[in-house]
Amino acid sequence: MSTLYEEIQEIRARYPEDVESAVLPALRRAQEEHGWLSADVIREVADALESTPAYVHSIASFYDQFHLAPVGEHLVEVCTNVSCALVGAQQVLEALESGLGCHAGETSADGKVTLRAVECLGGCGWATIVAVDDHYRTHVKPDDVPALVEELAGGA
Amino acid sequence: MSATEFVKVTIDERTVEVPKGTGMVETAAAAGIEIPVFCYEPRLGAPVGACRMCLVEVEGMPKLQAGCTLTAQDGMVVKTARTSTQAAEGQNSTLEFILVNHPLDCPVCDKGGECPLQDLTFRYGPGNTRMTFPKRTFEKPIPISPLIALDRERCILCYRCTRFSENVAEDGQLVAINRGAQSMIATFEDEPYRGHFSGNVTELCPVGALTSTQYRFEARPWEIQKVPTVCGLCPVGCNISATTREGKVKRVLSRNHPEVDEGWLCDKGRYAFDHLHARDRITAPLRKAGPRRFEQLTWDDALDAVEAALRAGGSSTVTALSGGESVEEAYGLAKLLRQGLGANEAVLPEDVPDNLDAFRAPLSALRTAKTIAVLSSTPVVERAPVVDLWLKAARRLGATISYTRPAGAVDALVTDDPAHAASVEATNVYFLPLTPNGRGVADAWSAAGDGEPADVEPAVLVISGDEAALNPGVRALAERADTVIGFGMFEESFRGIADLVLPGTSYLERDGTTINLEGRLQRQRRAVLAPVPDVLAWLAKLAERFGVELSPYAANVFDEVAAKCFGEIRYADVGEIAELPPRAERRAATREPGSQTEPGSGLRLVAYKPLFSGPAVERTPELQFQRPNGELQMHADDARARGIRNGQTVTVSSNGTSLELKARLMRNLARGTVRVADGQQGDLHPEVEVRA
Amino acid sequence: MAPEIVFKDATTKLAEYEASGGYTALAKARGMTPQEVTDELIASELRGRGGAFFPTGRKWSFVPSKDQIPKPHYLVVNADESEPGSFKDNEILSRVPHRFVEGCLITAHAIDSKHVFVYIRGEYEGPYEILVGALEELKDRPEIRGDVTIVVHRGAGAYICGEETALLESLEGKRGQPRSKPPFPAISGLYASPTVVNNVETIVTVAPIITMGAAEYVKLGVPNTRGTRVVSLSGNVVNGGNYEIVPGMTIKAIIDELGGGIAGGRELKAVVPGGSSTVILTKDEVDVGYDFDSLSAKGTAMGSAGIVVLDDRCCIVQLGIRFSEFYEHESCGKCTPCREGTRWLTAILRKLEDGRATQSDLDLLLDVCDRINGKCLCPLGDSDAIIIASYVAKFRDEFQAHIDEGGCPFGGESSLDGVLAPIQMHTHSPVAVVPA
Repeated sequence: MSTLYEEIQEIRARYPEDVESAVLPALRRAQEEHGWLSADVIREVADALESTPAYVHSIASFYDQFHLAPVGEHLVEVCTNVSCALVGAQQVLEALESGLGCHAGETSADGKVTLRAVECLGGCGWATIVAVDDHYRTHVKPDDVPALVEELAGGA
Repeated sequence: MSATEFVKVTIDERTVEVPKGTGMVETAAAAGIEIPVFCYEPRLGAPVGACRMCLVEVEGMPKLQAGCTLTAQDGMVVKTARTSTQAAEGQNSTLEFILVNHPLDCPVCDKGGECPLQDLTFRYGPGNTRMTFPKRTFEKPIPISPLIALDRERCILCYRCTRFSENVAEDGQLVAINRGAQSMIATFEDEPYRGHFSGNVTELCPVGALTSTQYRFEARPWEIQKVPTVCGLCPVGCNISATTREGKVKRVLSRNHPEVDEGWLCDKGRYAFDHLHARDRITAPLRKAGPRRFEQLTWDDALDAVEAALRAGGSSTVTALSGGESVEEAYGLAKLLRQGLGANEAVLPEDVPDNLDAFRAPLSALRTAKTIAVLSSTPVVERAPVVDLWLKAARRLGATISYTRPAGAVDALVTDDPAHAASVEATNVYFLPLTPNGRGVADAWSAAGDGEPADVEPAVLVISGDEAALNPGVRALAERADTVIGFGMFEESFRGIADLVLPGTSYLERDGTTINLEGRLQRQRRAVLAPVPDVLAWLAKLAERFGVELSPYAANVFDEVAAKCFGEIRYADVGEIAELPPRAERRAATREPGSQTEPGSGLRLVAYKPLFSGPAVERTPELQFQRPNGELQMHADDARARGIRNGQTVTVSSNGTSLELKARLMRNLARGTVRVADGQQGDLHPEVEVRA
Repeated sequence: MAPEIVFKDATTKLAEYEASGGYTALAKARGMTPQEVTDELIASELRGRGGAFFPTGRKWSFVPSKDQIPKPHYLVVNADESEPGSFKDNEILSRVPHRFVEGCLITAHAIDSKHVFVYIRGEYEGPYEILVGALEELKDRPEIRGDVTIVVHRGAGAYICGEETALLESLEGKRGQPRSKPPFPAISGLYASPTVVNNVETIVTVAPIITMGAAEYVKLGVPNTRGTRVVSLSGNVVNGGNYEIVPGMTIKAIIDELGGGIAGGRELKAVVPGGSSTVILTKDEVDVGYDFDSLSAKGTAMGSAGIVVLDDRCCIVQLGIRFSEFYEHESCGKCTPCREGTRWLTAILRKLEDGRATQSDLDLLLDVCDRINGKCLCPLGDSDAIIIASYVAKFRDEFQAHIDEGGCPFGGESSLDGVLAPIQMHTHSPVAVVPA
């Protein structure tokens, strides 16, 4: 079983020498492994890339999908851009806020679910799109929310 | 060689001819027209066109173009804000957008009065604001190191500082984080900006976002004087400008010698001037009054005592030089001792080869070298920092740099070992001396007399300068001498070894010349009066007592030395941007085949003298955090072969002793070598093994 | 019924794809010289499907030979689809991954490249897994792969990385900030080497063109917009989805015939024709052909072919706010007018929506749009300015009503009322100060 350091060396091998291309897949791997990118994880990734933590942090903080603060076991992301909003995304989001007991941008009190509003997920005609742990649910309506909340609570 | 192709460009109502491909900002400048810029800085790499300050109208293009990204093509017609309302509107817009969030800090901002944002707003910007919403705010200022304060509200996100960190110093320390309007400049967590060149960002910053903590609230630009001089702390001899106020040095800035430093300065040269105000600064002659105690003397008594001691020593007087003296100081001392006493024996910290003048070249030539060999056990950046920047620039332009002896000829050789200089075939050779003016001091010493140095037991040891006084070899010699006379700046350096100490001065307090590692003669100008007399002044008085004619004025002393060493050059002609003399005639020398160190199974441990060490650095509190932090530099391949990961704690062992250090993988050193800062190697021997 | 070219015999399975003729175009192309393949694409008049609509074959022809510039050539596929309203590449990668891979390999042959990078937006986990699955199926088929390596590189959530030079920066391991052009990617792109950047839909069309021949392809569509196009339809329509159409079909027809008309029996109010970055069309302007020339004549564009349909419940000022918040959030921060201007525009729009705006604020809004437009390093900032200016131009009365009535005339009933945009949430970085 390889360590994160070793996995990152393998990732680096996919790209030419002397380029930093591995940083994005390396961060994704590190986040999968650790849940979120704490300062220590950033240092770990930097060492594996033979680079500096400042550089790695500069990259990680540029992108929306990298968590630089702790997140819950599950991530629920509701697209609230126009196409989804026109058909009720805000109501879906509010139903989730109510069902999970936290505001968008926060994690539920039991630490199980982090809820976020996100920009266009690329499923506009199948609105409203809710990404649950990176997998898209389509045509989500406010009425679908209670079942989703229960699903998440059941540790699905 | 093809002739430069010139093209004709029309800028506003003027036409100008420039070499094809010249940047538009320079082309306009050649026509006497300003194109205002913020992010444009050619030394940082290709122009990025980020700030949009330089918007100009180009005939044939519907949209405004970023002038900094344009290059001169024949027949181009460009209109700046002077003649194009569209361009003027565009530049006005840029300034309006910058000022949307920029705080009105001018009254309390150090940059005020020397601020490009102020200047350009006056020239091209709006007179008042239409922005009625709350500006974005940050906690401010925050120290990103003991040297530099960051004010994120003032930052206009021109990215000059991050581009410097990434593309010049390549230290990966100062970065932009987040995105869009939430972008900020930062270091990692609250770790300081550690690096040899961090201070350059305070000069690059066009606003008061990155400022020097040392200079905070110290002066306004209309209260200061700027003295052009040359740094005396390392053999590069960067050209600097000392900012003084009311007779005190307040800061040091780069003066940009395009061939030597290109406008960069290391943090030691920039910040260590604090040493001028050190608590243990010697301000009067001293005499030993106890094992570690001195008492003050009057100058008359001191000179009498020194004269008596020297007479007693006679030709058995040995001189230990620091290599930091000016040419004139070294010559004065040498003339006094060699001609006055027949004392010809001098100890220099190193042998600076003089047969490399046939291979000398400006440092800027390193940038365009295609093949470079760096054969230096000391990291280049620790001994001659700015040379490392030239090497990095060369590598970015595609040069191959080898850290082991090259098979064939190379364009440039950079080395700290004269033996390599003799045995590697290179068009240009850059020797890295240990001392700032070793070459000048050696030349001055030999020019001052004809007598043969005799290997004598030192009856009297004269120690010139603090560096010599701190040198273990010199201290050992001092034990054997009957009398030790020293001169330098700091009491601490001479405590316990000197019988008599005369006050010395800093390179910032003297007029004189030095020779840098290129072989370039440069002029140091007195920035401030020392609290003590010039070294030349009392050397002249002493010389008189021994019947030796010595002028107390550097100009006269220089002319005397120059006649013997430098050819037809007068003091006044050395110039503020000094020239490098042409290469000497190549002596028909046979290349000695150098020895290639056979790679053993072990690793060679080099304990290098770090840049951030020495008496000046020790007396600059803000620089203490830059001292090395217990890392073992190791080649990435050597590490991999031993299963060692970057950042891992490793055990370094040699016969009978071992140490734990953090491994830092690098590629700019030779395989088979590991490096640690001097003082952190414990009792390890030069042959070590490293294990995960 | 439009001929199916992109989605013909859609399958994710290699065996099925080959059974219906898959990878024969590749064999045919490999029997042609790179120049011949490029000429065929030029003759097909295929134009980039990512939004810039640049002639594809012509772009390939810009790549210098390896004698001129001795560096490797790269094909980079832009699968970073993030333009609001556009989701066609999602479906293309999900349903016809092998046709896409075949297009990559043919294109690589045409531009003499051995390295293909597919930059896919990080959120597209589903299409990513399908694409990787398709590539897995080809592991034992060296005769298909040839000597070309395909690396799938996942993004991590940044719309700006859909801009080709920002994509290259991101792929190189830097922050996704666009570069100044020139130099153009064909000369100096990925790793400073000659690079072709193409959209997913463009690439997936290459194999069908080789199969049917350029002459046949050109018969479809209208001048300057040949072949078929996949359009994304979303918003207040009954049947949102991706539809492969023949250009020339009107927006009205797309909405009514393919989209099933306006949902809930409501009235059409406006259409955003080509993804968020395009000039809005009123309900009286939708009888226009969905092609380059027709839409240009109307002052708008096909863009990334994301048609967003708005019914009469939608407040246009709120539309402006939500899109402006999008651009503000996605701005990379490199150039001054976009970084500062998008934030300022959003603030002024909010002031209008909250009923606190004066007449001069409306003038200010338009002036700020004017000061941004045409000054930015890349189209992101320009787009925010352009669309807001178009909303004011075409719905001026609605903006005026906000001022005159001291609030939103929809009184909280607009379909976009109170929508929480990500920029309003705390950012994921614990260090940043969230703007008020």
